[in-house]
Amino acid sequence: MDKAITVKVVELIGSPLCISSDDGQKVFDKLKELLSAGKNVVISFERVDMLISLFLNVAIGQLYGSFSEDEVKARVEVIGLSEEDMVLLKRVIDNAKRYFANSKSYDEAWLSEEDEDEH
Amino acid sequence: MRFPVGTVYSDFNGFSAVAKLAQETSKLVWDSAELDFGRCKFFDANMSAPLYVVVTRLRDELNEVSIQNLPVQIEEILRKNCFLEVLNLRQMQDTNHTTLPFKIFKTHAVEQFYDYLKQYVPDKGASIMSKMLNKRFFQSILEVFSNAFVHSESVSGVFVCGQFFPKKHKLNFTIADAGVGIREKVRRFTGLRMSSCKAIEWALVEGHSTRNSQHPGGLGLKLIKDFINTNQGRLQIVSRFGFYEFSSKGQSVNKMPYDFPGTCVNIEINTHDQGSFSLVPALNGDSIF
Repeated sequence: MDKAITVKVVELIGSPLCISSDDGQKVFDKLKELLSAGKNVVISFERVDMLISLFLNVAIGQLYGSFSEDEVKARVEVIGLSEEDMVLLKRVIDNAKRYFANSKSYDEAWLSEEDEDEH
Repeated sequence: MRFPVGTVYSDFNGFSAVAKLAQETSKLVWDSAELDFGRCKFFDANMSAPLYVVVTRLRDELNEVSIQNLPVQIEEILRKNCFLEVLNLRQMQDTNHTTLPFKIFKTHAVEQFYDYLKQYVPDKGASIMSKMLNKRFFQSILEVFSNAFVHSESVSGVFVCGQFFPKKHKLNFTIADAGVGIREKVRRFTGLRMSSCKAIEWALVEGHSTRNSQHPGGLGLKLIKDFINTNQGRLQIVSRFGFYEFSSKGQSVNKMPYDFPGTCVNIEINTHDQGSFSLVPALNGDSIF
């Protein structure tokens, strides 16, 4: 990847804990700004102590609502994640692709599940 | 007024007993509520969290809440886990180091909650837990905690506590809130008049989230289920009339006879699980997208 800019997550959010949606939003805003400016991006998770799906949904999953899958694939790279956290990120990405491809259809299967036994 | 508290295990009947207490006390305002433990044969320490959902509602309505006829053994449990401290009774030192104390966390206190876990989990079986199990446990608990803040609309905060059973190699951790419940959130989001049980089932589907925003969600509970399945632990979710339980043996969802005014998630893990998390497929950072 040429002239990629590295976003150091720990330095950006000021914490090794990637566990809140607010911090995820801060990372997303920075990524969106860079990608919108035509930059390539490396997201560094070096020195992160803890990571949960909520943070990744906001920070990275949300990219698929603003950029195409091909753009993200070509211009974003992730470093510094452990193997198991990489698996978690993969789940988040697959979920995000489904969500933005077809978010309205989630509820159709439940249309027959109305229940009037509770107030 | 006096309200009897029956025997409360961390199961369908135990949660129903707490929900019954919530329903019986729901109309009480500017009064006094004496929670009578005279007939209580046992009280699982982690059930302090859902019980506090009842207490906080009573206090919101300016009721005076007190405990009566507490059997000695139960008093010891509830003193050691600091639950009785919030009811102005003295704490007792936990010399066995088996309790994760009852604590109330306010909104956005997720980093403080993480510090709490780091302080209290290591001597509750974590020393024999594999590093990976420890991490997955923390991640699961943090997912639940974050979900409670994002979804519950609880103004009273989130109530947590845990109990370690060294001989059984089990660690229980419970997170409760006095929020609107899963049913209300799912009804608002889908526009469907789902029951509490159906709403819990809906929320457990991967990708389902009631968050109205630009980003996807709905992975947290599914990840926890996967973890519990591998670990051969147990997951319980109680919200309004719904009681859901999942373990490696299967899952069930049942309607409780009473309305629990909030949501409670109880995670039980097998602390002797040594290696079930090491096998992960190789992925690299530039091909993951």
